Amino acid sequence: MHPDKGLEEPRPMRGTAVNVEEGPFDMLQQIFEEAPRECRYDISFSPSEDGTQQNDCHDLFLAYLQEPSLETGQVVAERLQGITTKRSGLGLLFLILGANSSRHRLVVSRFPASPGILAEEDSASLSVQYIERVFMKSEKAYKSAMYEGASFEADFWRGRAIDKQINSDIAISNYWIRDFLFSDFATTGERGTRRLATALRDAVNRTSDLGVKDEIAAAVQLSQGLEGQVTSASGFSTRFGLSEKATEAVKEQMKRQLFDEPFVFKSDEFHKHVAFRSVELDNGARLIADADSFDEIFERSESNSGKTEFSTAGNIVDERFRKRIR
Amino acid sequence: MSDLEEAYLQRYEQVLSPMVETLEQELWECLCEVASRIDRLTVRPKSPDSFLLKAEKRQGEEPKYSDPMQEIRDQIGARIVALYVDDIEPIEKIVLTYFTPAELQDLVPESESEFGYVGRHLLLIIPPDIEPEGATQDSIPDFFELQIKTLFQHAWAEANHDLSYKPSGELTFDQRRKVAFTAAQAWGADMIFNELQRDLRTS
Repeated sequence: MHPDKGLEEPRPMRGTAVNVEEGPFDMLQQIFEEAPRECRYDISFSPSEDGTQQNDCHDLFLAYLQEPSLETGQVVAERLQGITTKRSGLGLLFLILGANSSRHRLVVSRFPASPGILAEEDSASLSVQYIERVFMKSEKAYKSAMYEGASFEADFWRGRAIDKQINSDIAISNYWIRDFLFSDFATTGERGTRRLATALRDAVNRTSDLGVKDEIAAAVQLSQGLEGQVTSASGFSTRFGLSEKATEAVKEQMKRQLFDEPFVFKSDEFHKHVAFRSVELDNGARLIADADSFDEIFERSESNSGKTEFSTAGNIVDERFRKRIR
Repeated sequence: MSDLEEAYLQRYEQVLSPMVETLEQELWECLCEVASRIDRLTVRPKSPDSFLLKAEKRQGEEPKYSDPMQEIRDQIGARIVALYVDDIEPIEKIVLTYFTPAELQDLVPESESEFGYVGRHLLLIIPPDIEPEGATQDSIPDFFELQIKTLFQHAWAEANHDLSYKPSGELTFDQRRKVAFTAAQAWGADMIFNELQRDLRTS
């Protein structure tokens, strides 16, 4: 497929069926089998502009599923060619279809073209040859989508996808999932962000470990830079270096299977649900509490000397010495 | 008991019923900013009787649904009753920040001289957060239906639904006119209340 977005007359392209005995078959079979693990993003086709449950890309995939042929595959490739810019470049599209007695699976993968060198060694010499177009399952630019189901009428609206370039650039990020698949994440950014924020808030409220509270509060304060990026609860924990104990405390507040689920981070939503207010005094004291209840926890007054006094009362649940204050 | 009835009963008890409570709570949490614009919010699993009745529907000679467990999309139905017409859009906007749509439809009469059912219908992806622990992917429907209506749209639809299930059969011409008249009245009441609340807010 050529990068023909905007061209009045797209260049012709050709497809071919890969025979079971041919070399690429083993590689394609591996892609097919690994798709449920590799395609991490739960996606769903978007409705048409008039709001009905109709989607052009979905229609092309269904036509291919119901009648797999070079013709029905070609129109899928033409759709991708029509939205591919020079930036994404030349690519090779694979449509891999499999079925057992009741379920079908379609895997759609795009390999980008890269220059490469073919090296052949014999007993006396090594010969090298420059090859302009090698199509590889690039670790950095691989894109794939997978759909599974039993009923052509009811299934195949939801699927899973992977796009290794998803955070590199808005235009490239939109290319595979939004433009080609005309789909969106099944978990909206706001939903995923809210889930993470409430898990962090609940972890802080439920743990009696001051170190864990402190770690999470620090991560929350640093989270502003994540706006618009694809992350997950596990990605958040790794990015802000949460300890194993703090990570486990967060994990306990959400369904285990959602801990790795990716979503687009929304800063405004995040701070609606989790916010810690901290006050540091010039005598070295630091106070920290949930922003919503800070004023209830700490009573504030101004002394005659012009200094601010905070007071609070409660049972000590943990007390420790820290080597340093972060 | 048919295989379909048995399969749906199992889904109803083990999956749909536990999910509706969580979904209702979720919807309230998402809509807390506009809670004062909502008269009521309900979520229900489709009753087994209602499901089986729908599953038996025919389109000409053929059954309408070849796989009712997968194809009937309102196995979970949610309804938000808003106070006024102007409240519908902001409610929908918030819903769509937390739920991914598969369909967004305005159900309105076919021509401007007709009066009948009116409502905003959304088909939304069921988020994994509300799936019951341990349920398999196959046992959970992909979608739920959300209707957003005003008080008067809701009141008319309820009465109309009740009348359409009366055993007397087809309505007469005059009875149909009466139904259309009440729909027109409900539409008019919605318009006037909406204008009133706009006037009072700006004055």
